Amino acid sequence: MAAAGGAAAEPQLEPPRRGPAEGEEAAAAELAAELAARRSAEARRLVLSPRRLWGPLPAGLSQWFPALEVLDVSGTGLAELGEELLALPRLHTLLAKNNRLGGPGSLPKALGQAPLSRSLRVLNLSGNRFAELPPALLGLRGLQSLSLGGNRLHGIPPDIQELRSLEFLYLGGNFITSIPPELANLPSLSSLVLCDNKIQSIPPQLAQLHSLRSLSLHNNLLTYLPREILNLVHLEELSLRGNPLVVRFVRDLTYNPPSLQELAGRTIKTRNVPYAPSDLPENLVRYLSLASNCPNPKCGGVYFDSCVRQIKFVDFCGKYRIPLMHYLCSPECSSPCSSASQSSTSQSESDSEDEASVAARRMQKVLLG
Amino acid sequence: MEQPVQTEMWKAGSLEELVRILHRLFAEDKVSVEEVQALMESYESNPDEWLQYAQFDQYRYTRNLVDNGNGKFNLMILCWGEGHGSSIHDHTDSHCFMKILQGNLKETLFEWPEKKGNGEMTKKSERVLRENQCAYINDSIGLHRVENISHTETAVSLHLYSPPFDSCNTFDQRTGHKHKVKMTFYSQFGERTHCAMAMPQENN
Repeated sequence: MAAAGGAAAEPQLEPPRRGPAEGEEAAAAELAAELAARRSAEARRLVLSPRRLWGPLPAGLSQWFPALEVLDVSGTGLAELGEELLALPRLHTLLAKNNRLGGPGSLPKALGQAPLSRSLRVLNLSGNRFAELPPALLGLRGLQSLSLGGNRLHGIPPDIQELRSLEFLYLGGNFITSIPPELANLPSLSSLVLCDNKIQSIPPQLAQLHSLRSLSLHNNLLTYLPREILNLVHLEELSLRGNPLVVRFVRDLTYNPPSLQELAGRTIKTRNVPYAPSDLPENLVRYLSLASNCPNPKCGGVYFDSCVRQIKFVDFCGKYRIPLMHYLCSPECSSPCSSASQSSTSQSESDSEDEASVAARRMQKVLLG
Repeated sequence: MEQPVQTEMWKAGSLEELVRILHRLFAEDKVSVEEVQALMESYESNPDEWLQYAQFDQYRYTRNLVDNGNGKFNLMILCWGEGHGSSIHDHTDSHCFMKILQGNLKETLFEWPEKKGNGEMTKKSERVLRENQCAYINDSIGLHRVENISHTETAVSLHLYSPPFDSCNTFDQRTGHKHKVKMTFYSQFGERTHCAMAMPQENN
């Protein structure tokens, strides 16, 4: 039976037992009959009790429940949602977890053009079989909350940045190996869950997520974090357990000498040599725009590709030590606070009063509670 | 309510009755851990009875006070969103009972770190607690981390602490370093408490 109502769900009756041979067609027909019988012009909420369906949602749904705002089809085994979804003009919450969605056509292709592309705020597709983020859902411009937890995602498409209204993104429990920097282009993102994946590094651009309050990274393959993570001033929750974070001080002196192009680029930037886009081939204009500043505040230098990686521990009063990755423009360009770490086995470097330690104290508030 | 026979095994038919029996038990000078654990386990979770206390937060698990036990104990409901977990923590010399009301919670036990410990903390054991099961821990048993490892289901648990405490130590699994934290209530007796959080909570 389906429960329909504006307030809390009414008690739901189990569908009558069927023999194994009856199949999903019969179940679909039965569902259509039940819903037609329960039609309501005012009902805002519809919950389908757990049952065995294949899908799609029956044609006629939008006529039987024209005012529908919340639709819960979780645990019904649906393999496709179907075109009827596009005819629900007021839907703001769609819960479809623990189903068999994930194959091509699970979501109707025209999702981005339907009225619900503007109305839908919450979409929960956790516990399904998606191996990639379904492109059809990128058109949901009004979407505020998206969950694809417990699926089979191997990556996140850069086009995720099209979900401009996204505040909550749950991608825990997948097989994600890397994060596209475009994820940082979601201006309203306040909660990002990436736990239980296979992520090896965090792009520094994530520090641009100014609204981020909660970042869940536990149970991944991180060995360090980018130092820019200290810039997330609104971060209140950060989980890092279950990562092979480097504990002992590591100094990596691998250094590839800069190319002539790199040296020329550095000169142009540090000497402020003026140039206009018409002066240079387009690829060099782009190259010059990628200059990064050396984090050593005493050094005014820039670097392009050639830099020294250095893992530096930001010491939160000797309690938590988060390995942060620094990129310096050359091995000689060491930050003041790393001078104490010449004794490489020392674990109690003290922070000097540079920008990193001010930010570190802020981070201490986040991590220590 | 069954009358206690020689082994004083109580049965609570509702959350209200559970609270009543707890008050009675804790009014005595001595309270038996087994008795309380059996009582907690005897209560069959009925969401209608505790839904008012089950206030979830998007960012982290919440602590919702149900009863303050005349100062002898605190009874509270914890709400865990998908993926929410606690830090490794101790129990400030108090008894801690944890009963699952909905969903599942994974409990990982840890040894106390060495005095001047500077290495990874030692895991003792882990288990997944199912609905209506009740676990018990105190500082002599060890430390634990509690997590909702589901990515699709929320979890709700009922906790009893005696004596009540409002601060504890959290531990960094990688180093054993500890840090004292103050614990706050998200709601009390069903009412959202809007005191600003003293410090954000970590869960490393």
